[in-house]
Amino acid sequence: MKHYEVEILDAKTREKLCFLDKVEPHATIAEIKNLFTKTHPQWYPARQSLRLDPKGKSLKDEDVLQKLPVGTTATLYFRDLGAQISWVTVFLTEYAGPLFIYLLFYFRVPFIYGHKYDFTSSRHTVVHLACICHSFHYVKRLLETLFVHRFSHGTMPLRNIFKVSALGCVFQDPGLLPAPSTRSRPHPSPACFQNCTYYWGFAAWMAYYINHPLYTPPTYGAQQVKLALAIFVICQLGNFSIHMALRDLRPAGEWPAPGKGGMVVGRLGKGGSHLPLLSCLPGSKTRKIPYPTKNPFTWLFLLVSCPNYTYEVGSWIGFAIMTQCLPVALFSLVGFTQMTIWAKGKHRSYLKEFRDYPPLRMPIIPFLL
Amino acid sequence: MAAAAATAATKGNGGGGARAGAGEGGGARKKKGPGPLATAYLVIYNVVMTAGWLVIAVGLVRAYLAKGSYHSLYYSIEKPLKFFQTGALLEILHCAVGIVPSSVVLTSFQVMSRVFLIWAVTHSVKEVQSEDSVLLFVIAWTITEIIRYSFYTFSLLNHLPYLIKWARYTLFIVLYPMGVSGELLTIYAALPFVRQAGLYSISLPNKYNFSFDYYAFLILIMISYIPIFPQLYFHMIHQRRKVLSHTEEHKKFE
Repeated sequence: MKHYEVEILDAKTREKLCFLDKVEPHATIAEIKNLFTKTHPQWYPARQSLRLDPKGKSLKDEDVLQKLPVGTTATLYFRDLGAQISWVTVFLTEYAGPLFIYLLFYFRVPFIYGHKYDFTSSRHTVVHLACICHSFHYVKRLLETLFVHRFSHGTMPLRNIFKVSALGCVFQDPGLLPAPSTRSRPHPSPACFQNCTYYWGFAAWMAYYINHPLYTPPTYGAQQVKLALAIFVICQLGNFSIHMALRDLRPAGEWPAPGKGGMVVGRLGKGGSHLPLLSCLPGSKTRKIPYPTKNPFTWLFLLVSCPNYTYEVGSWIGFAIMTQCLPVALFSLVGFTQMTIWAKGKHRSYLKEFRDYPPLRMPIIPFLL
Repeated sequence: MAAAAATAATKGNGGGGARAGAGEGGGARKKKGPGPLATAYLVIYNVVMTAGWLVIAVGLVRAYLAKGSYHSLYYSIEKPLKFFQTGALLEILHCAVGIVPSSVVLTSFQVMSRVFLIWAVTHSVKEVQSEDSVLLFVIAWTITEIIRYSFYTFSLLNHLPYLIKWARYTLFIVLYPMGVSGELLTIYAALPFVRQAGLYSISLPNKYNFSFDYYAFLILIMISYIPIFPQLYFHMIHQRRKVLSHTEEHKKFE
C-alpha cells in the first residue's frame, strides 16, 4: 500500500509547520489533524483549519486523503481558528446569563434600586409570576441544551460566546454565528462582544422595570394576566413539542460516532436533526421535511416551516402582555425580526432541497410571513 | 461626527465611472454604475442638494453682512438648513435600492446623526439656537456638503475636476474637527435646558413600565464621539493618501 506524505504549511506565511510521512491513503482529515496536534499541541484539532489552497475553503474532517486532488505528497495549508469552546458550554452560558441576571433584579439585590428596597419583595402577584415564567423559559432552554438538542462540530470560536450569550437564546444568524455544518467550519465573528452586551443588556433592562418598586401592574388586571399566561404556557409547550419532533426526525443510531468530550457529531441548533441547523443556517443540507405528529402542537407544521420560532415569538408576546412592559415588547420585536430572517432562510433551503415541499407553508407566521 | 461621517462614509451618490469615493480609492472601474434613469435622477438629486447648500452658504454671508456680527445667524438659514439636511434621508433610500453603492447602515448612521442634531437638539432646545457653536457646525457642514454633492455630480457625469476631488479629500482635515466641536458644544449647551424641562423624558411610574432620560441619553451621545470620531477621521486620512496619490500617478502618464 502506497503511503502518502503530508506537509502542512502556514496559510499566511507559507512556513513549513509539519511534515508527516507514511500517512495511510484512507486517512481522514480528522486523523491528520490529530497527528498535527502531536507536533503542535497548542493547536488542538477543533481550532485547526486545513485547506488545499491558502485562501480556499476548509477541508472537512471526514474527507479522505486519497479522494482529494493531491499527489502522493499532499500540501495542506493551516489556519488557526482561535480558541474554541464547545457548543454546549456556549449555550449553557448564554442561557444561564439572563436567568441569573433577572433573579438579581427580582430579589432586589443592593445598588439596583434605592437602599430602602434592598431585598424587598414586590406586592404584585404578576411580578412573581413573571419571574417564574422568565426563569422557566431559560431553565427549559438549559435542559433542552443538555438533553434534547444534539450538536455537530463540537466547538465554536471562544470570541463568539460573548456575542451569543447576550441573546439569551440561540440566535444562530449566519452573520452572528458561523455555520457549523459539516461542510464548513466555524470562523470567529467580529460582532461577538457587541451582541453579548446587547442581549444580556436587554435581559437586565426588562428585569429592571418588571421588578421595580414603582412597577405598574397590567391595566386589565387578573384577566389580562391570566390570558397572557395561557398564551405563554401554550407557546412554551408548543416550542418544546417542536424541539422533540425535530429531534425525533433523526434517530440517535444514525449519528456519526461521538467526538471529543462526549459531544455527538450531529448538528447545531434547537431540536435533533439537521433541521435546526437549517433552522438557523440557510444553505445547510436538510434531510427530511418535518411533518405534524400526533402531538397537536406540531400541527403548526402544516402552516409554517419553523413553528419553533413561531412559538418562541408567541411566548415573548405573552410575556409582554402579562407584564405590560414596553422593553419586553421591544425585545420581542427584535427577536421576531431575527427569527424571521432565520425562518426565511430555512424556508428557502427547504424549497431548494425538496420539489414536493408543502406549498401552504410560510416561514414563520401562517399565511403571512 | 455628523460632519466627518458625511465625508468619510459614503462612496458617493452615484459616481458610476469615476469611482473615487471614500472606500474605493479611485482604483476600481470594473463595477457598472446605476442605469441611465437612475443616473439622471442622481444627477438631479446631487445638483439640487449642491444648490440647496449654496443657498445656505449665501444666506449666512448675507445675514452676516446685514447684521454686522456673526452671532445668531442660525435664524436666517433655519428653514433651508432643515429642509436640505432632512432631505438627505433620501440617500439612505438610494443605498437601500442599490443605485448608490454605499452601505445602508453607514449612510443611515451618518444622515441620522445630522438629522438628530438639527431636530432633536437645535430645533428642540430653543435656547441653544443663539449659541455660536451652532454656527460652527453649520459652516463646517455647509462647506463639506457643497463640495461633497458637487463631487458626486461631477463623478456621475464622468468629469471630475481635480480641484473638487482635492477639496473633498483635504478640507475635511479642518472641517471635520470644526464640525465635531460645534456639535459637541451645542449638545453640551442644551443639557441644562433638557434637564430643567424634562424634555423627551418619561419617568416611572407609568402604565407601560418604561422610562427614558433624554439628559442621560445626550451625555451618552457625547461620549460616543470619543471612539467614533478618531476612526472616521483616520479612515478619511487613509482614503486621502490612496485617492490623491493614485491621481498623481495617473497624471504622470498624461
